[in-house]
Amino acid sequence: MAVEHRIDPWLLLAVLAILGASLSVLGAVDPIVGHRLLLRQTIWGGAGLAALWLVGQLRASALQRFAPMAYALSLLLLAAVLLIGQTRSGTRGWFSFGPVSFQPSEVARLGTALMLAAWFARSGRNRLQLLDLPVLVAIVGAPVVLILLEPDLGVALTYLPLIGAALWIGGLRPQVWVVLGLVAVLGAGATWMWGLKPYQKDRILTIVQPERDPYGSGYQVRQSKIAIGSGRLLGQGLGRGSQSALRFLPAQHTDFVFAAWAEGTGFLGTTALLLAYGLLLWRVGATAAEAGERFGVVLATLIVSWLGFQIVVNLGMVVGWLPTTGITLPLMSYGGSSLLTTCMALGMVVSVWRHRLVNA
Amino acid sequence: MQIHEDISPLRYRSSWMVVALILLIGVIHIRVADLEVLHGSFWRAMAENNRLRSVPIAARRGRIYDRNGLVLATNTPSFDLLLFPDEARHLDVTALFLARSGIASARDLCQRLQQRAHSSLAPVLVAENLTWDQVARVRAHQSDHPELAVVSGFRRHYPNSELAAHVVGHLRLLTERELATRDDANPDTLVGATGAEEMMEDFVGGRGGRRQVVVSAIGQRLGVVGESPPQDGHDITLTVDLRLQRVAANALSRHSGAVVALDPHSGAVRVLYSAPSFDSNLFTARLTPQSWAQIRDDPEHPLQDRCIQGVYPPASTIKPFLALAALEDGLIRPTTSIYCSGSVVLFGHTFHCWRRGGHGRVDMTRALEVSCDSYFYLLGQRLGIDQIARWLQRFGFGSRTGLGFPAEQPGLVGTPEWAQRVRHRPWYPGTTVSVSIGQGPLLVTPLQLAVAYAELANGGHRVQPHLVERAQPPQVDDLGLDPQDLATVRKGLWDVVHGSDGTARSLAALPIAGKTGTAQVIRLRDDTKPDELEERFRHHALFVGWAPLQDPRLVVAAVVEHGGGGSATAAPVVAAVLRAALAETGDTPMGEKSVVASSR
Repeated sequence: MAVEHRIDPWLLLAVLAILGASLSVLGAVDPIVGHRLLLRQTIWGGAGLAALWLVGQLRASALQRFAPMAYALSLLLLAAVLLIGQTRSGTRGWFSFGPVSFQPSEVARLGTALMLAAWFARSGRNRLQLLDLPVLVAIVGAPVVLILLEPDLGVALTYLPLIGAALWIGGLRPQVWVVLGLVAVLGAGATWMWGLKPYQKDRILTIVQPERDPYGSGYQVRQSKIAIGSGRLLGQGLGRGSQSALRFLPAQHTDFVFAAWAEGTGFLGTTALLLAYGLLLWRVGATAAEAGERFGVVLATLIVSWLGFQIVVNLGMVVGWLPTTGITLPLMSYGGSSLLTTCMALGMVVSVWRHRLVNA
Repeated sequence: MQIHEDISPLRYRSSWMVVALILLIGVIHIRVADLEVLHGSFWRAMAENNRLRSVPIAARRGRIYDRNGLVLATNTPSFDLLLFPDEARHLDVTALFLARSGIASARDLCQRLQQRAHSSLAPVLVAENLTWDQVARVRAHQSDHPELAVVSGFRRHYPNSELAAHVVGHLRLLTERELATRDDANPDTLVGATGAEEMMEDFVGGRGGRRQVVVSAIGQRLGVVGESPPQDGHDITLTVDLRLQRVAANALSRHSGAVVALDPHSGAVRVLYSAPSFDSNLFTARLTPQSWAQIRDDPEHPLQDRCIQGVYPPASTIKPFLALAALEDGLIRPTTSIYCSGSVVLFGHTFHCWRRGGHGRVDMTRALEVSCDSYFYLLGQRLGIDQIARWLQRFGFGSRTGLGFPAEQPGLVGTPEWAQRVRHRPWYPGTTVSVSIGQGPLLVTPLQLAVAYAELANGGHRVQPHLVERAQPPQVDDLGLDPQDLATVRKGLWDVVHGSDGTARSLAALPIAGKTGTAQVIRLRDDTKPDELEERFRHHALFVGWAPLQDPRLVVAAVVEHGGGGSATAAPVVAAVLRAALAETGDTPMGEKSVVASSR
């Protein structure tokens, strides 16, 4: 089996393009938001690229052997953060070391993906059996329960694509999908009735009726839509748009960074950025399709599902189609742990790609 | 090496998923095209109409009452005019409009804008306390001037400002540094600058709130985005008695000076009046430079609180403490007498008694009654400066009483160490002679005098003066004085008013015990030489006393600047306050009575 020594150039192009866009928009809103965003994110970006390259040097089989340990370590960190973590706006989810802080719930997603892939590789089956379901649910459920204890609903939601993709790629009989669909509908109904807090319900209702409460729960999404729309074809220049400069746009360096980008660069810039995200998903998907081992296929698929989910849910929120959940845009939003984790995941994709079947 | 298993179904499913995700991104791209290209101008117009304001919500300061529930400080509603500088099309046009409407002069507006370079969303307060006419004028031109907003706020009001200006205090703007450190900081917030307003700021002040408001292009309020509600301050009741403050003010009439009255048992301050007073309402809006200059440059220094900041030589009012010190230390017996010929020669100098003809033979009570200086020159010699200083410090002289006003002065009890440290000169023995009659390096505040006399009046318990009633009964801290010695000194102070030759015989109709004092020193705030002053500027009149002798209800200290002799001007002031206090029968609240009872 041939082994590549390079990194997939198209993947690298997509990553660098998105990171470049991220740093330019963060640099533009830095004077508005403060906190020296640009400097911090540049350092994290450098660390991310280094991590991408380093992890890419590992063999896929080494990743597979390492999987149970990574998973155990992830659970340990999640448990530890509940005990000794730092609390920010009601969520106990950070380890803080001086100016640097670190969110284990982001990194644990990687351990969970590795564990799922390793489990699939060991099972050696192309179709899941009923008894496999509890195992899969347990692997994903354990970290999710720990994260819900923090509590951090936004991050817990990003584990949803892992279980979804695992079930999808594992292959279920049509009847099982029907049953799961029913369970999902009932579960959603029950959550609506008993699980959601009033402000969370408000956010969902706002999607259905955007003008329901334009200055309350609908305020953020409305400002986001105004920001995107006022970018028009060519944009107003990064950081120069009134939505961004006058701070109408909420969380413009994290959750709503896409709106700041759209206001600044217009349709041209958003098209370029969306193309880069499309390219990224395509290259990770292509790696899954070309991988030689079951482990590699499953791992790349889980990673593409997770990135795709975050991209679609975040953009869906920013354009006003989905409720605001606090899910960030991978590689684009400000945040060190998320950036580093995404880069490490892409490094694993690179590792799988380097050990792919050539001429298969 | 493992044989490759057939994993094509996995690849197949994976590819479908990726295709679906990329399609979803495509759908979002269509949505973005709809927003940016098809409806771009609509959203751009929305953005241009988008105005977010951060409007401060004033917190209501707590009201301040006197002990009988009379209002000392309250709030009145007021219309204020805010300007949002970023929203103005042309600030010059706004300035012109404000000047023409008689709301703010262009210079004033410029000054207020310059003071505030930071925080673009926050408004600038351009005028307080608008009249109805001015409000109507702004409202009528609201669409031309969306950057102006009339808001209702509170304005501090002091109904009896002249009577209690120093004790209640006045307000000031936050400093730049405070603005940087307070998170609720609104540059137009007024905080306590002096008096109880300053001392109780954390309790009375409250915390301002803020409201994020979206307004239309013409300044119409569309909706509230977020709000942090203000927290109103708490009301407080001071121990001072406004009626007695009025009596003190009237008794001082046109003189500068200070009157302090305390409950000698609890230390509750009943009167803290400094003259001349001022109108603290001047500070509830932004002070105009003219009125500030007028107050600041007034030669009588009305802003100075003479009760706690004025330091005076105690003169003869210090004598009871020296007498007590000598008795306690066993240096003298009450019956020991000297012969006063009108002067004493010590260290080669002749020290005169105030009565050139002399007092003849005087013992301790007689010496206090007639305020014989010769007796105390010799007594001071026996004590020595170290003992004198130790005893005076024991009665609280030379250090702040702990009333709680940061501006309070500690006064001065001079010692040889002090002379060496501050004046870089040795202590001359003659200085001790001066200190013996309350002159020289010995300076006290009227509050310190009242506290020290309260300790004589209540039988030797330490007194902690306070303005706000405490929840717990005060700790009884005995000074450890011999009751016999105390009785001797008190007898002397009773004879000052009731004796045949007492220096304050004119008050004999009242059951007062006390001591006169005549300080022969110029005021410290002037640096002119004493020789250049006219005679009538030289004497401060002092009187400290309490009534009734055995069951003291109130102790009063009065200083009348340039009042001449203590008996002539200061004693009548004290008498007026004591008379008014004794006339108020049954005025002591029940709670306090029980505290007093338990402290005995």
